[in-house]
Amino acid sequence: MRRLMPWAAGLLALVAGFVLQTQLYTGQERTVSTILMFVGLAAAWNLIGGYTGYASFGQVGFFGLGGYTTVVVMVHAHLSFWLALPVAAVVAGVFAAAVGWPLLRLRGHYFAVATLGVAEGLREVVTNLPGVTGGGAGITIPTVGPAAPTPWLGNDGFYVLFLLLAAGVVGVAALIATTPAGYALRAIHQDEEAAGAMGVNTTVAKTLAFAVSAALTGAIGAAYAFQQVTIFPERLFDVDITVLMVVMVVLGGSGTVAGPILGAVAVGAASEWLRQHLAVGHTLVLGALIILAVILLPQGFTSYVSSRQYSLLENVRRYRL
Amino acid sequence: MRTKLIAGIAAGLAAAVVAAAGGCGSKGASTGGTQDSGTLTLGVSLSLTGSLAREGILTREGYDVCAKVVNDKGGVPVAGKKLRLQLQYQDDTSKPDTAGQLVDQFNDKGVKLILGPYGSATTEAAAAVVERNGQVMADSSGADDKIFTKGYRRTFAVLSGAKQYAASMIQAINDLAVPKPRTVAFVSADDGFSKTVTEAGRAAATQLGFQVVGVEFVPNGTSDVSPALTKIKPKNPDVIVGSAHLVEGVALIKQAHELGVSPAGAFAETVAPPTPDFVQTLGANAEGVLGSTQWTVTSKGSDKWFGSAGDYAATFAAQFNGRRPEYHGAEATAACLAMILAVEKAGGTDAGQVRDALAALDEQTFFGPLKFSAVGQNASKPMSVIQVQGGKQLTVWPKASAEAPLKWPGTKA
Amino acid sequence: MSPLLQATVYGLLQGCMFGLVAVGFSLVWGVMNIVNLAHGAFVVLGAYVAFEVHRLLGLDPFLGMVPAALALFVLGYAVQRYLINLVVNAPIFITLLLTFGLQLLLVNGLILGFTADYRSIPTAYAARSLVLPGDLRVPLGRLLAAAVAVGLTIALGYLMRRTRTGMAILATGMDRGAARLMGIKARHVYALTFGIAAALAGAAGAAVAGVSTFSPADAGRFTLFSFVAAVLGGLGNTAGALLGGVVLGLAEGIGGQLLPGTLVNAVAFAVLVVVLAIRPQGIAGRAFYAARVET
Repeated sequence: MRRLMPWAAGLLALVAGFVLQTQLYTGQERTVSTILMFVGLAAAWNLIGGYTGYASFGQVGFFGLGGYTTVVVMVHAHLSFWLALPVAAVVAGVFAAAVGWPLLRLRGHYFAVATLGVAEGLREVVTNLPGVTGGGAGITIPTVGPAAPTPWLGNDGFYVLFLLLAAGVVGVAALIATTPAGYALRAIHQDEEAAGAMGVNTTVAKTLAFAVSAALTGAIGAAYAFQQVTIFPERLFDVDITVLMVVMVVLGGSGTVAGPILGAVAVGAASEWLRQHLAVGHTLVLGALIILAVILLPQGFTSYVSSRQYSLLENVRRYRL
Repeated sequence: MRTKLIAGIAAGLAAAVVAAAGGCGSKGASTGGTQDSGTLTLGVSLSLTGSLAREGILTREGYDVCAKVVNDKGGVPVAGKKLRLQLQYQDDTSKPDTAGQLVDQFNDKGVKLILGPYGSATTEAAAAVVERNGQVMADSSGADDKIFTKGYRRTFAVLSGAKQYAASMIQAINDLAVPKPRTVAFVSADDGFSKTVTEAGRAAATQLGFQVVGVEFVPNGTSDVSPALTKIKPKNPDVIVGSAHLVEGVALIKQAHELGVSPAGAFAETVAPPTPDFVQTLGANAEGVLGSTQWTVTSKGSDKWFGSAGDYAATFAAQFNGRRPEYHGAEATAACLAMILAVEKAGGTDAGQVRDALAALDEQTFFGPLKFSAVGQNASKPMSVIQVQGGKQLTVWPKASAEAPLKWPGTKA
Repeated sequence: MSPLLQATVYGLLQGCMFGLVAVGFSLVWGVMNIVNLAHGAFVVLGAYVAFEVHRLLGLDPFLGMVPAALALFVLGYAVQRYLINLVVNAPIFITLLLTFGLQLLLVNGLILGFTADYRSIPTAYAARSLVLPGDLRVPLGRLLAAAVAVGLTIALGYLMRRTRTGMAILATGMDRGAARLMGIKARHVYALTFGIAAALAGAAGAAVAGVSTFSPADAGRFTLFSFVAAVLGGLGNTAGALLGGVVLGLAEGIGGQLLPGTLVNAVAFAVLVVVLAIRPQGIAGRAFYAARVET
């Protein structure tokens, strides 16, 4: 019974998502869709960055790869979006497995910068293949009329799509967290040598985690590309998107199921609220808030609550030099 | 404990989402009440931060001038009433997806009339949403012709299309330069707008009998164009045309001096030379560089709100510490003006009627003629060519509105 | 003139500039295991200090390096002492996030205070060149910046290996607990290290202002270059950043001649990924730093 409670809560959240939809104007719907997209992205990053402890700084590369796979499938092959979505996931996953095999030997920030290099490289490749991708000028997916392989889903449709994708990614993360695979990943995070000695095939485990994380990210990228209609390499491979994923996971609580959800909603909602109310100074205030949050809640919000250590200053005392 | 935590989290999430979205409403778009209270509200999604912040802020200045002048004159006359002009700025952080989202949010608030963001990518994203929502947009800076090939009927650009940018300078050189140069090379950024400019420029050059000896592309936004310059130098072009934004444009001149790339004729660049930053950062090295511009203080035409181009310059200077306006500001004011003229003609703020009034608009203004083609481009407006002379950007072409004769060769000026 | 030779020389100078921008970043990372995402903002801040000093006193940007470095040293010391030290023992990403927040704060503060205008400090010599046989051009401004890069790298090496302060920094970087037992005040040493790194960033910013243009939006680009140069060169070696920068500059310069110009960035990142896959500690780095597991 206790084991089922979190799943029930998750289901409840999903229902709440649908109820919320009926209460929103279309523009608000789109704003919330963006937040839901980041819930999915953060939860996917958490698999490799949070559970396994390998900070992928090139995660946006898989997002962009998913988006441009959709372009190839829909624009060039004139096939349905519902085919493009799984294809994007597979392409991103396989690509991640291929680059992950050599790069996952690197540790810490070195892995971070190597993946960053992969994502930047991908962007350059996409920019330099104008025949396929439209290059820097961007490319438009046909969404209306007979030329459209799949008609645009509308703000309503995309809200549901992003809600289901977010739920799906969180579901996968929750599943992994409670199975032996999850323990293997956490063991790698704690001490990779010891995990290997215990019989975990660390190379396979972390490569798989990387591939699954990338595949989920790629699927979200596919949905994003279709929602945007016209996509540009500069935005689809924007390093800011990776940074946001990391910020959301770490603030929410890395390596937990609820952490990325919390982080994504908190950061997404805060930055949106600030942007609407402070046309010029919003990013400045966001920066200050992040600094404050980091100093007061260095373990992330979920650990702060579950540790039942509610004094904020206690955290400072614990981690300061 | 755990359940409580989850319940608490769920409640918190819902609250946060609602706060961010700006409260609950009923499904669909609200019908705004702002119009009834004697104000005309225009929504503006603009790059106030991010990579296009510089140009975004220049654009905002132009919108601000429009609002001040209109309100100082009592407001927009609509059906016997005078409406105060109110501009709602939101920051799209230079990102196309955010620009689209903002236009949707304006629609929620019943703001159907939109003034365009800065740049072609953000404008394209905004135009798609405007079309979907039945809003109307006056585009001040999205020049890429690609935007106007999609069958959109609700986006109207006051500016000349991207194809004019380099072609007008080639034409000016062809008309005015003595001795006439023979060879041209292009250095182009690789974004959509710059590539369209370069293609059209190359076609114009070939057609006018110039020999195009090289076309080099550089990454959009780079501050190092030395590889392109090194490749072009041995070809000794008489004219080097830079199709680029401010950063690449400044780097092109700086690094050309460093590398001893000195064309016998001149440098010509699209959007960088008319901006104040170009002369400030380059100092003496900016001398003689040609630039193409949507508008100059000697552009022909006048209107009842802003008078002539010269009057506009005086108004602008009064509002911004005596600064001389450049075209980013002027095109923004012109977009705002087009919207106001259309509202006045439509006799109301209904988006459908304003759209029809914009489509039928045929006015002379301080910015030149405002008359839109079927796809929404301002086809009849000519571009001007300026040259930096004595640290000032002076109009040299077309001849009818020239402030000074072309100094040629520009590199020896 | 051979375009390839010209591109190589220019790439070398450009690389030294990358190295100058990256050297402080590499120091902080090597000693404290902190990836300072605000480093690029420090560079831009240094450029603004030099710009203001030039505007008010007419000081040359290369002399303006001194006040820029001093101002940034004070800022860097304070940031580490009163901000980053508060979370130094927290999980590694916390410091990353803290510096990310700091960079948002600084960059947008600069936009508010100085607008987003592109600026540079014009000098009579920066765009002039030495003309060598074969019409090979060596731009004076960049040559001077490269000399500063090499000079500062040597000076930093001397400081780290030959002075008590440097020894204390190195010792703290290797084993903070043991250093503390030796009577080293880690709190102060960390702040000092960060201050020195910020000062180097400030000096780099002044050089950038002298030879090229800058605006607040450039901060992210400088951080990215630093990241790549530091990793390419390797940590734990004061010359690593310079070396990494030079490799990066040469790859872009030569790559730009052999391939279409839009591929220069792709070349740089390809070099990075390949170097890391083959030699994880970087070209001149010490394995200790690459094997270090973040806790």
